[in-house]
Amino acid sequence: MTTQISSTRGSRSVATSGGMVVTGVLLIGLCIMIFVPHVVGEYGTQIGFRALIYLTLAEAWNLLAGYGGLVSLGSSSFVGIGAYILMGMLNAGGFGIAAALTASGLGASALAVIVSPAVFRLRGLYFTVGTLALGEALRLFMINVSYFGGATGIFLNSNPPPIEVLYVYAVALAGIATLVMEVSTGTRFSILLRSVRDDEDAASQVGVRAFRVKLAAFAVASLLMGAAGGLQALKLGAIEPYGMFGLQWSIDTLSIVIIGGLGVRFGPIVGTVFVIALAEALADYPELHLAMTGVILILVIRFAPKGLCGLAQDLYRAFIGRSGRARAPQAGGAQT
Amino acid sequence: MPSVELIASSLVSGFLLGGILALTALGLSLVLGVMRLVNLAHGEFLIAGAYAGLFLVKYTGIDPLLGLVVIGGAIALLALPVHRFLLMPLAGKGPEAPMMTTFGLSIILQNVFVLAFSADTRAIERDYANVALTMGPVTVGQIYVIGFAISALVIAAVHILIAYTAFGRDLRASAADAEAAATVGVNVRRVHALTFALGAGCAALGGTLIGIAFSFTPVSGATYLLTDFAIVVLGGLGNILGTLIGGITLGILQSIGGVVLGDGYRDLVGLALFLVVLAFRPQGLLASSRS
Repeated sequence: MTTQISSTRGSRSVATSGGMVVTGVLLIGLCIMIFVPHVVGEYGTQIGFRALIYLTLAEAWNLLAGYGGLVSLGSSSFVGIGAYILMGMLNAGGFGIAAALTASGLGASALAVIVSPAVFRLRGLYFTVGTLALGEALRLFMINVSYFGGATGIFLNSNPPPIEVLYVYAVALAGIATLVMEVSTGTRFSILLRSVRDDEDAASQVGVRAFRVKLAAFAVASLLMGAAGGLQALKLGAIEPYGMFGLQWSIDTLSIVIIGGLGVRFGPIVGTVFVIALAEALADYPELHLAMTGVILILVIRFAPKGLCGLAQDLYRAFIGRSGRARAPQAGGAQT
Repeated sequence: MPSVELIASSLVSGFLLGGILALTALGLSLVLGVMRLVNLAHGEFLIAGAYAGLFLVKYTGIDPLLGLVVIGGAIALLALPVHRFLLMPLAGKGPEAPMMTTFGLSIILQNVFVLAFSADTRAIERDYANVALTMGPVTVGQIYVIGFAISALVIAAVHILIAYTAFGRDLRASAADAEAAATVGVNVRRVHALTFALGAGCAALGGTLIGIAFSFTPVSGATYLLTDFAIVVLGGLGNILGTLIGGITLGILQSIGGVVLGDGYRDLVGLALFLVVLAFRPQGLLASSRS
């Protein structure tokens, strides 16, 4: 468990000295991004929207896996539930988009609470397998139950808002995710969460209620993922179970965080830029793109356990000498 | 209300299919029990076995059932470098790193299958797979009976290997306490490599049988991975004969789910069962091994 010990040290310094700076930089960046559609045109706005959805999912997943040690392969469950809730509410009529998105998040959070007895019952790796099974089970359920549209899915009755409007919602959602991460990683909660990650037994011995701490992180992360799924559904205007509950959501989210830097505050944003760039470069070769993602994942896990941010940190230290303390966020930021 | 014949046939088919599923789950259980590794590429090893059977009959004309030893051996050999170059360097880095590496491998293999063999749905066409056997009210596919017999034989052989041989003794020692086993001279690294290869070989055998009895696609592995996890949960981790019982239980339950709810629900039954067992009877998971 040597890597875990060192990762604790790394993320603690980030959380205490760099966290506020990172959040400030991210929020200022998001404010600037509001004006992006006026500059880059429709295609650029589409990519920006996708990046913001990915960033939100990655922030949530980083909270779970990076800070809580809960490696989930079930991101698609919460994206999908959020998508179906939003479609249901907007088609029923009488609800605004903000209300529907909130409901998407709360619904996903409720799902997390409901399945928590199953996925937390056994530690560590069973959480991963349990969440993987959850996503597949929900997908099969939605395909087979005609009430939810079966394999065809659901269409939005009304026209989806234009991409410029959706984009502003995405900026706001990513902003909320950033604030949530600031609160989760900069307060006492982050210490509780990391104590449970590093040694659940020891944490319980000193009075940390491990189950509650894990559940809180799981519920918060699922809330963000559900809202992101709802927003994605609103953009698509039509959803079906293969897409919204597809393993692709889980793969993308996990790849972003691991490539960017697991448990590093700036990891998700660096990873998002990298993964979006790779997807754009290989857009015509989907199989090659996925296979490449697998290769990069294996290489990063083996040679750069702290992702690109960790690599940047190491390089920075090599140049400056050993005096660079907690400079990784800034070093990582320079790439974005 | 379905007829008695249909119900009886479904239950017997489920029982026999469960035996085949148990064989596909055996490797997952072994690797999890001995190496404490969740092998997320297990389903792809299974599909590799199905493709191996397909191409064996296509290019050599040898029946895949006769070539089972070759197929199992080939996939087991291919698994050795995976262990040596991808998993072994991550020893001591916590349980997540090797698991995520197998996840990366799973993504790579799925897409290599698509690129190399196309995304088409395939099946290993054999005449004996289309024969139905009737006994009283029960009608089942002959391939189910053949598949069950082969699976039971392989599972029994693996049981004997682990319970009564020198390698099995080393394996059990490594599973119980790897450090203690190493101090008394067991080559744990070698045991892990061979266990991983054995697991992959068994998955490939199961995959060939699945390929003859059903159809498969490059991405079918994910479904079997989760079905196999449900079996491991039911049967107890690393428990060889428990895996057989777990497989048969799941096969029967899937058949009941298929008859009662409709065919689309078969796989859902396994997944739901997995989550329910995790929630209410997690001790069933560790029945024969210490956590």
